[in-house]
Amino acid sequence: MATTDVQGRTVGGAGGGEQPFVWSMVLPMVRAGLFGFIGYFAAAWITAMVTHSVIVNPLPATLGYVFGLLGWIAGSGIWDGWIRRAFGGEEAPSLTGVERYFRFSSDPKATAVRYVIFNVLAFFFAGLAAMMIRIQLLTPDSTSWWLSEVHYNMTFGIHGLMMLLAVAASVIVGGMGYYLLPIMLGARTVIYPRLLGLSWWLLPPAAVAVFLSPLIGGFQTGWWGYPPLAQNSGSGIVFYALGAATLLTSSLLGALNIMGTIIYMRAKGMSLGRVPMFVWGLFAASTILIVEAPATFTGTLMDLSDMILGSHFYTGPTGIPLAYDDQFWWLFHPEVYVFALPAFALWLEILPAAAQRPLFARNWAVAGLLGVSMVGVMLGVHHYFTAVSAVRMPIFMTITETVSIPTGFVFLAALGTLWGGRLKLSSPVLLCLMAMMNFLIGGLTGIFNADVPADFQLHNTYWVIAHFHYTILGAVIFSWLAGLYWWFPKVTGRMVNEFWAKFHAWWFFIFFNMTFFPMFILGIEGMNRRIAVYLPYLHPLNEFVSISAFFLGAGFLIPAANLYISWRSGKKAPQNPWGSKSLEWHSPSPTPYIVFPEGSEVTVVGPNDNYADGAPEPFVWAPTAAGK
Amino acid sequence: MVKAFGGLVVAWIIGMAIAEGLTAYGVDHWPLLGSVQAHITADATIYLIWQAVAIYVLVGGTIVYCAIRFRARPGDSGPPAYQRRYFGPFVIFWLIMSIAINLANTIYPGMVGLEQLWGIQLKAKHPLVVDVTAQQWKWTFSYPKQGITDVSKLVVPVGQTIDFVLRTKDVMHDFWVPAWGVKKDVIPNEIRHLYVTPTVLGSTKTNPMIRVQCSLICGNGHPMMRAPVEVLTKAAFKTWVSNNSF
Repeated sequence: MATTDVQGRTVGGAGGGEQPFVWSMVLPMVRAGLFGFIGYFAAAWITAMVTHSVIVNPLPATLGYVFGLLGWIAGSGIWDGWIRRAFGGEEAPSLTGVERYFRFSSDPKATAVRYVIFNVLAFFFAGLAAMMIRIQLLTPDSTSWWLSEVHYNMTFGIHGLMMLLAVAASVIVGGMGYYLLPIMLGARTVIYPRLLGLSWWLLPPAAVAVFLSPLIGGFQTGWWGYPPLAQNSGSGIVFYALGAATLLTSSLLGALNIMGTIIYMRAKGMSLGRVPMFVWGLFAASTILIVEAPATFTGTLMDLSDMILGSHFYTGPTGIPLAYDDQFWWLFHPEVYVFALPAFALWLEILPAAAQRPLFARNWAVAGLLGVSMVGVMLGVHHYFTAVSAVRMPIFMTITETVSIPTGFVFLAALGTLWGGRLKLSSPVLLCLMAMMNFLIGGLTGIFNADVPADFQLHNTYWVIAHFHYTILGAVIFSWLAGLYWWFPKVTGRMVNEFWAKFHAWWFFIFFNMTFFPMFILGIEGMNRRIAVYLPYLHPLNEFVSISAFFLGAGFLIPAANLYISWRSGKKAPQNPWGSKSLEWHSPSPTPYIVFPEGSEVTVVGPNDNYADGAPEPFVWAPTAAGK
Repeated sequence: MVKAFGGLVVAWIIGMAIAEGLTAYGVDHWPLLGSVQAHITADATIYLIWQAVAIYVLVGGTIVYCAIRFRARPGDSGPPAYQRRYFGPFVIFWLIMSIAINLANTIYPGMVGLEQLWGIQLKAKHPLVVDVTAQQWKWTFSYPKQGITDVSKLVVPVGQTIDFVLRTKDVMHDFWVPAWGVKKDVIPNEIRHLYVTPTVLGSTKTNPMIRVQCSLICGNGHPMMRAPVEVLTKAAFKTWVSNNSF
């Protein structure tokens, strides 16, 4: 088993979380907030004074954000947890109790739990923005009594950016991936635990900046941030660019950790043929981020530079605005596979255990995940067929359609696993099946946008809105909830209330489809996206969509309450409630601080999905030299 | 397992009848197709809808069928007898089908549709040239050969190919008449062309699908960046030209 000196040693109170919570443990978070606040306003005011401007101007806001971010990180505990040691000082002792959740910590499990909390909060606020959008669209022109066009544009921009980068990008990778990755591989930690700790601390300032961008003027571009509109529609675009760049940097740090951990930290006998499917999903998603994220956040920063430094990459008489599209979609189309691949992998992780059958055609499924990540790199141009030269159309049409072949392998493996199994339809399994049904619609309607002639009409209409909500909300968020329910016993030691979980799954499935399916029809009937005011002939369908959306939105309070109440007072969970053969179920619930204590080592001796009667155990525990 | 497959086929037949029936109903109520190009893009869309519905019934139907047929009854524990990890014929069939469907889709409706759209553009010997200028947040139209400049309403003759020359004064916009079935982005510092051949007489007043609409976010006035359109007979268009030119 791979190990590092810090994580390998025995720590007193290895269970973690045994000390009672006291409020003073939250102090590092308060300190981080205070330092961030001071950093922001000090830098912004000084810059504004020097340049004779005001703090809401782009340049002071940019410098304010940078120093605010530095202040926040410094306050979080990174100074005594990392930097002091790097300069030869003494490192603070590893915190193993509850306090590690509230400060910089190198424990991947604590980081992952913080991710989940952050994702839930971001989902809640970005979801409120969605409700505001739907209230706007309840009537053809609501600008007189609800949001003005200006505020409407800010609202959907914030909704889009937050849902994509602060929720979808990290719900499965951050929340579940960082928790399970080392445990599933039999590693004691990830390869760069401090970098992983840092990756979470980058998120809150970015989210706060994007949510508060209306205070400095907001932005009108939606989540695309396209120049030249970006430059002349409110200085909030500064917070957009910096927020997006920060969130992507955080994803990149996580991706480096995932890649390194999978390559170097697998337990003895954990050959690539035995790596769990979920880990393969994380691996495929990380390849995308490592190859493409830098190009895109460089693009947003170049856009920012056009704004505050007077360069002309994309704007002005010599700028090429389409170059931004190229850079932007270079990552942001594949980014949806960063959301979707871990979700696919999650189905393939859950379904074999639920059906008590080995994963069908495992090699094809792995090839599918990696194939999607490789083909996915090359197809961003289908987002602007209406803008590119004719010669690029057939090429990118062909590549975009090709991506459905490896995606199909995932369904092939899932169907083969379900067939002839003995499926226990618990709430996570139900959610997985619903996610598959939804993704099927999302994927099939994607072909319309890949097909150039159809796309000429459907591009930028509500068809597209419906399509990507089916893939992201319908597949990724359904899978996220499935994963939360599936691994909840492992993290908290308690079971989720099954009745309310299933009730919510059906509620969610019905109102999700009632909300988003009519949007396909709206798109065909000529409703273009991103409009606060529409023509009256589209009113009846929009009203139907809005009312369904309110039910859908209200439905999210059910899992929030269910998870909270189950965490406080749910039924105590056994070690392996689902009968899964995966390695993470071999440790007690909840997972102790040290999952694999010093003294024994795990060796993988067989595939971990052999559910036949009397199948041999795939994991063998052997005492190590140090333990003797 | 063979018995189970028989049940699946029955489920497929029932599902297909319902789903394709609904599709036929939906296609019958397709919105206005007001140009030659709209027929090409709508044909592509409708063809893909038939196909997507069929695939959805086959694959989604199997998921639902498996969830019902192979679920564990209450009190039922222990692993199933069926433990196969691989079944060659199924995998090979799946692989061949997915590659074949992709190839076919790329050719039709993809390349065939594009070829038809490009063909109209190449065959148009003397198109009516209309200069379109987009700016935040209005459209202006000029007819250089007719000597008409800067009108805010788009008036075109039916049955003639029109070459829209698209320019923008500020940010990106997108020229779209929903009834005409095609759209084109207008990019700063560049000139774009869009060829349309209207086939249906009418105006924004008679059908809201016949309207110029910006379909790329362009700032605060984006939703209101519309312009009225009137498609006239050739004779009526000539009259309009003589009344409006200098």
